[in-house]
This record gives sequence, C-alpha cells and structure tokens, in this order.
Amino acid sequence: MEIGSGVRIGPFEVFAPLQPAVSMVRHYGEHHFPGRLIVVEGIDGSGKSTQLSLLHKWLESKGYGVVFSEWNSSPLVKDTTKHGKKKKLLTPATFSLIHSTDFADRTERSILPLLKAGAVVLCDRYIYTAFARDVARGMDRAWVRDLYGFAVKPAIAFYFRVPLETAINRLLDGRDGFKFYEAGMDLNLADDSVESFRLFQGRILSEYEKMIPEFGLTVVDATLPIEIQQMQVRQIVKAHLDKAKELRVQA
Amino acid sequence: MRETYGRLLPEMRLADLGGKLIVIEGTDGAGRSTQIDLLKPWLEELGHAVVDTGMTRSPLAGEGIRRAKEGNNLGRVTQALFYATDFVDRLENEIVPALRAGFIVLTDRYIYSLMARAIVRGMDPRWIRSIYSVALKPDAVFYLRLGIDQLLPRVVFSRGFDYWESGMDLYPGHDMFDSFCSYQAALLTEFDRLSAEFNFQMVDAAADARTVCAHLQQNILHLLERDSRKNFISRLYNDSTIAPQSTDAALFAVAVPAATPSTNGNGNGHHHHAAHPSR
Repeated sequence: MEIGSGVRIGPFEVFAPLQPAVSMVRHYGEHHFPGRLIVVEGIDGSGKSTQLSLLHKWLESKGYGVVFSEWNSSPLVKDTTKHGKKKKLLTPATFSLIHSTDFADRTERSILPLLKAGAVVLCDRYIYTAFARDVARGMDRAWVRDLYGFAVKPAIAFYFRVPLETAINRLLDGRDGFKFYEAGMDLNLADDSVESFRLFQGRILSEYEKMIPEFGLTVVDATLPIEIQQMQVRQIVKAHLDKAKELRVQA
Repeated sequence: MRETYGRLLPEMRLADLGGKLIVIEGTDGAGRSTQIDLLKPWLEELGHAVVDTGMTRSPLAGEGIRRAKEGNNLGRVTQALFYATDFVDRLENEIVPALRAGFIVLTDRYIYSLMARAIVRGMDPRWIRSIYSVALKPDAVFYLRLGIDQLLPRVVFSRGFDYWESGMDLYPGHDMFDSFCSYQAALLTEFDRLSAEFNFQMVDAAADARTVCAHLQQNILHLLERDSRKNFISRLYNDSTIAPQSTDAALFAVAVPAATPSTNGNGNGHHHHAAHPSR
C-alpha cells in the first residue's frame, strides 16, 4: 500500500489525503496547482479582513475567478465548534483539534478542488492562526505544526502587524467586551475579559513574530492608512499573478 | 508512572493515575461490545469501579460525527481529525479523571483503530502517529482477531453491510460486498502491523463469546494482581482484623494473593477462584 509521498514543501510534508490507498499517490504542491492561494493573518482588529475584501473586489474586477474561504466556516464542523464554545467544553487540545477538523473539511471540500480548477482562493486566517492561538494556549509547537501537515502552502501569506493597544481600541470601539474563547478566558489569565484579551493576544503576537521568518510571512504595517496598505497588497499580488497568466478568466 | 506516546497535553498530570486502562480492540463485528458488556458487571462484582467508553461517545464531537456520517461528503482528513477530537475530549474529560479516581477504564477501541482506519484511507502513518502521541499508554490491549472469512457471515447474517464499515468512501465503484472485503482485509493487515508495534495481546475472536470472555478475564486478573495499589491493600489486611475468608473476600479477591507476597510464585492467578464461592 502506498502511503505518504515523503515530499516536503516548506515545513509541510505533502501527501495525498484524497487518494484511495490503492491508487497512485499524487503529489500536491503549489506548483502543481493551476490556482493560487492567498491568505491573510493577524490578530483581531488588525484590519486584515477589510484588506482581504478590498483585494477580493479588485481581483474580480480584473477578471480572475476568486473564491473566499473563512476560518471556522465548514458546514460539517462549525456546529460542533459552536456547541463546544457555548457549553465551554473546549480544552486547549480539543479547541485545536476541532479547528483543524474544520480546516480539513474546507481544504478537502473547497480549497484543494478550487486550486486544481484554477481559482484564486482567498483565506481569511489560515494555519498560522491555529499555530499562534494553540501555542498561546499551551499546545506543543511541533504537535500543532504536524497536525496541519495536510495543508496547502499558500502562494502569499500576508501578516498584518499591529500593536496590541491599537487593535484593542479598534475592537472596543464597537462593543463592550470580548467573547470567552476570543479573550482566552479559558486560560484563567485574568478575571476581566479585556485584560484577559490583552494578555492572550500578547502571547499570540509573539507567536506571529516568530513565524515571520519560519514561514516567510509577508509583513504589512497595519497602522498605515487602509488605502496605502491595500496598494502594497495589490502590488505584491499583481507581481505574483502576472507570472500566472493562465488564471485570467477569458471574457 | 503512566506514560504517553511521546507528547503531553497541557495540564495533563501523569502522576496518580492509579486506575487501569484496558483496551478492547478489533475490527467491526469482532464482538468487542459483547465482551465489554460481560466484563463490566464481572469487574464490578469483584469490587472494581468501572467506566466504559468508546468511539463517538464524547459530549463534544459525538453528535457532530454522527451527523457528518449521514451525508456522503465527509472527507478523509476531516474524518480522521473529527475522530481525534472525539478521542481527546474523552481522554481529557473521561479517561484521565476516571484513572485518577482509581477506576478501571474499559475502552471499546482506542487510538489503534483510529490509526488503522486513517492509514488505510491513505493518511501518512507518521502524521496520524504524531496526533495520537498525546494518548496514554494503556495497561493492556486485547485484540479480538477475526479473519475476513469469519467476519463476513457475522455481518451478512446480522446487521448487514454498513456504508462506512464497508469502506464505501474508499471504493466508490465497488458494490458493498466487494468493498467490504477489500476494506476489512486492508484493516486487518494494518491491525496486524500495529499489533507488533504496540504489543497487542491477541485473542482468537472466532471462539464463542464465553470462551473469549474467560480468556480475557484470566488476563485481566493477572494484570490486576500486578496493581501498584496492592501494597496498600496488603497493608489493609495485615493491619486490620479483616480475615480473608470474610464476606469481603470477593471484593478483595484479586488482591488476596498480594497479602502474602512471600509465598507467591508466578502462578497466583488461581487464588481468586477460592474467593468466588463466598457469593
């Protein structure tokens, strides 16, 4: 029986999760897909979703086939995650595992097939979110990286870097406090949700910083005006997509 | 001290996990649940507190897995991770607390079934091993082994073929029968490989349920005699006026040999029989 390809792309071993054990093993890797995967990362309040949605509109206007996939949105898994959060059933380990299950479903159901079909796939949060959050919750770094070993390596991973206080001010502008797991209240860092959020997101920020060189994240200064950030993002994306002419949808 | 398969979950303390973790493994239709239904009351009669657990019984993910399996769109990586979520939820919230409280945990399947299923579905064995490196090493793994020839009639003449037990997600072009045979044969091969790696105690599941159960009971008694708590129980005997022939004898049947360690050889598995007539 053929199992595992032994091929490594970046930190990931690429194997063939979608192939029946009896058939030939195919190697998935960025250069085998006609499509392109672009992801945005950063803490809550970094403005990454705003930037991604502007990028989305621009790519569509240029005629690319664009598909958007959001963290924690699998139709098969998200109810379980919601149930776990509502009943506070999640430990750092099961928090990590249920999110990886959600991500696996999105990978198998949409990200992989769409990349094969030649789409530009945009992901709001990707595996780096899991690496940052799960490690901040005390999970073993290597274990979490192994867990996501089936993920497709993105063509570009933007990291929207923002100081903690800026993010907190942006978030608190619209609401009173933070949700239980969002603020890392499960870790008992502080009784107050804002204080807990601050401590928890601080840990997450330091994980992100470590991942910049580890995974070659593309850093964007998220304190700059929205328009400037978007211009930088589009320049980088354009440079990448110009090399991939086949992505253009012929009108 | 109890061990894991290499990695430790946050806040999981391995000290004082005094209970026993006993795994009943085997393919579909090997009679695992029948055996657990026989073993649990038997252990309780002997005075042991027992918790039994099994796949998809977690409050977190059990229902979600059942719902996902109703459809035809549960992918293989997703499936493997959903089951891992279910397992870890039970490990942290059920198995570990029970062991800490001194219970015997009887588990219907453990990480081995989950690894075998994932590997047969094309997952990288190193990937799935890494995920389950956080699992506790059990005190014993009894592998109820049944050849494909013996397995078939049990399935055909009882409940019929099930989509997932037939591996129809793997061999969509086949009919249920062909798929069942290919899938179960692949699982058996994988189980045999895991058996050597993880020290399964092989049990011939083709025998009738009572014979299988007697065999399991004998091995479990042997395991319990080596209980680390035997020192405590032997002290109880020495320091108190409880005579081994009292009505409590059945309760301590397993521990009786430990009360006189100087006279014990290896064959002290017989002692418990003496205590049984008291019931």
